[in-house]
Amino acid sequence: MAVPLTDEQLFSELASLGACPGPVTESTRPVYLKKLKKLREEQQRSARTARRDVTRLSGGNAAGRKCSVVGFSSDESDAEAPLTRPGLAGRTYRGSAQPAARRQAAKPRSEASTARHGAPRPERALDGAGTEHIEGKSGSVNGRSPSPGQDNDYSDSDSEGLRVPELRKIYKVPPQTRARSDRTEESRGRDQDPEEPVPELHRPARSSMLPPGSEDHRVTVRKDNHIHGNRFSSELRPRYPVYRRPQPDPNLSQNRVPEDELLHQFRAEQSSSSTFSPHYLSMVLLTAACLFFLLLGLGYLRVRGSGGVPGTTAHLHPFGSDFDSSYDQSEKALILKLLLHLHDYLALIAGQHDCGDQQHLNRSLSLEEASAYLQAHNKKFDDFLLTSLEWIIRSGQDVGIRLKAQGGDDVTDVSEITYLESTHPMMPFSCRFRRAFLSVLSRVLLLCAVVGSVCALVCYMKYRWRREEEETRLMYDMVERIVDVLRTHGEACQENQDLQPYLPIPHVRDALIQLQDRKKKKMERVWSRAVSFLSTNESRVRTEAQMVGGANFMVWRWIQPPSLSCDKTSTPSKVWQGKAFPLDRRNSPPNSLTPCLKIRNMFDPVMEVGENWEVAIQEAILEKCSDNDGIVHIAVDKNSREGCVYVKCISAEHSGKAFKALHGSWFDGKLVTVKYLRLDRYHQRFPQAQSCSRALKASNHLQLRPSEDH
Amino acid sequence: MSSTSQKHKEFVAEPMGEKAVNALAGIGEVLGKRLEDKGFDKAYVVLGQFLVLKKDEELFRDWLKDTCGANIKQQGDCYGCLREWCDAFL
Repeated sequence: MAVPLTDEQLFSELASLGACPGPVTESTRPVYLKKLKKLREEQQRSARTARRDVTRLSGGNAAGRKCSVVGFSSDESDAEAPLTRPGLAGRTYRGSAQPAARRQAAKPRSEASTARHGAPRPERALDGAGTEHIEGKSGSVNGRSPSPGQDNDYSDSDSEGLRVPELRKIYKVPPQTRARSDRTEESRGRDQDPEEPVPELHRPARSSMLPPGSEDHRVTVRKDNHIHGNRFSSELRPRYPVYRRPQPDPNLSQNRVPEDELLHQFRAEQSSSSTFSPHYLSMVLLTAACLFFLLLGLGYLRVRGSGGVPGTTAHLHPFGSDFDSSYDQSEKALILKLLLHLHDYLALIAGQHDCGDQQHLNRSLSLEEASAYLQAHNKKFDDFLLTSLEWIIRSGQDVGIRLKAQGGDDVTDVSEITYLESTHPMMPFSCRFRRAFLSVLSRVLLLCAVVGSVCALVCYMKYRWRREEEETRLMYDMVERIVDVLRTHGEACQENQDLQPYLPIPHVRDALIQLQDRKKKKMERVWSRAVSFLSTNESRVRTEAQMVGGANFMVWRWIQPPSLSCDKTSTPSKVWQGKAFPLDRRNSPPNSLTPCLKIRNMFDPVMEVGENWEVAIQEAILEKCSDNDGIVHIAVDKNSREGCVYVKCISAEHSGKAFKALHGSWFDGKLVTVKYLRLDRYHQRFPQAQSCSRALKASNHLQLRPSEDH
Repeated sequence: MSSTSQKHKEFVAEPMGEKAVNALAGIGEVLGKRLEDKGFDKAYVVLGQFLVLKKDEELFRDWLKDTCGANIKQQGDCYGCLREWCDAFL
């Protein structure tokens, strides 16, 4: 038999062996190959029981060649591949597997097959998928190692039996290295396969990209099986061109599984940086913000406080060069010192005054007091007081002292000065802080008040507008009802000539508005608006004054001739209109699954008008299921685009009945579909439904159903 | 009810339409991803494979195992789910 088995050959082989195969396609090929192999093995086993070992061995080679082509294909090529392209990524499958010298790789082959055997070791290795693999659960490896021979699914186990002991050796790696060896082997697989993306579910879509040669194809598919089946299988594709004990140690240090490595790195980064960098960043930001505000506050306070450098120092003064020239040094110093003292004292007074200190009721200091104070300090001051004050006036700058005259400010001459005041009051820090704080607070409060009032205004406007809308809607509703009443009355009058063709307005009102609503302001408003609307906009109704029962009433007369009958409100719109398809096994579940139903396409939320359309919908559903008194909760989802209604029944049986009644019916021109919902989800959504146990009944004032025919 | 899972019941209750392959019983996130990467991105594609294998249990199980590495239980769940669906709708 030729090495690659074509589809047709496979098909015919299978057919000859008694299996009835379906089409052999790309995806079914491996399965059929396995089946063929199994059938062959069975045949062989039954036919040649005596020559088992030999058969197997040679079968391994010759028939095995065939088998390998067929079933062990992956082995074959896997075995060969490493020989031809040892340097290639562990998944040497990938190579163009030349059927070069085979199996020298007894080991690789056996390993490979064991790997394959590993594949079927389902639960442990495969459960939970790749994540476990990546984390290198050594358990899974251990789980794989024992007795590949146990596997009955793969007949190649027989031929592999010989290899088993050698294989076992591979796994008898010292326990502590086992986990690492997993990884290393994995990594070996991975490392050398730079293309292979990080673990998990990276299916080698590459397989599909391989050349279509059947062997390769098989190989690829096999590879897929392995890779998917068991990631560790790759490691067994030894890159060992020659079999040797796996050497975990040299490899250990060099290659850690890239994915493991990545994962570890990631985790490490996570743990360190995740706690580190966001935390760090937030702390930094917080401290920066605090510092900023602190500085801002300090700066503000400082500025608010005693302003600039107090007026004059011995060396700096704002008086200009004239001053320097007029007086000599000592006098200058004296004058300046005088001014300084004066300034400080005034500042002190002003500060104390501003802070509410009761000692100084007056912020300003009179000239006499000033001179008295200065004399107390230094006798010589007195002489220079007036001159210094004159200099202040002359300089015209603000030195921290303001001179006030009798009437007000701005003296022009020394003689006019009566009061001295400081322009830069000096206040103790607490006082300054308090003032600053108070001012800030007051400003903030003002801002809040403004914002609050604006919000209140907006809310009020919205409320008014909404109420307006609602009233208008009610008004239109009322007008419609009035028109209806009048029309019916008019028609009744046509038949019965004894009736008066008009209706008193108050009578109509009392007929339409419920008793308890009549006194409500809202309804009164609505009514009056309706009346005025009718009188202005409705031409089919005429308002006139008539004598009814001895009293004068404003009445409405319906003056539309009865021939016009294009009212759209004549037929109620929400009716059940029959069934679209019969319910059978195909389009409904065989049994009712839960007591909760979701009914779709009952309405279109955009198109709905009127106040209580959802009640109408509920009524309609109840009516439709009127024979089923097991409905305990109905909820109409007004906002759903699909027009959903949720129904809960007492039991699954009742919901099944409701399902049969509703599913596939036409309602209001729409095809209604029903599906079952989980009970707990339903309760999550509608907690009030948990306590409902009373069956709902339709109120019978509307008959929305045509006569039942089923 | 029989010992079928919620997923099974949900799947079998209605035509599968465009449901993802994750909706099959026994096929979770990981297996679903593997199947998707192989090209079986919708439940109906897996159904197709099931039908091509002539609804044979063993073949389908093998195929499932080879394709996405499903274990015995997962294979069984998936097979049962598809078979029942076919019984109901096919």
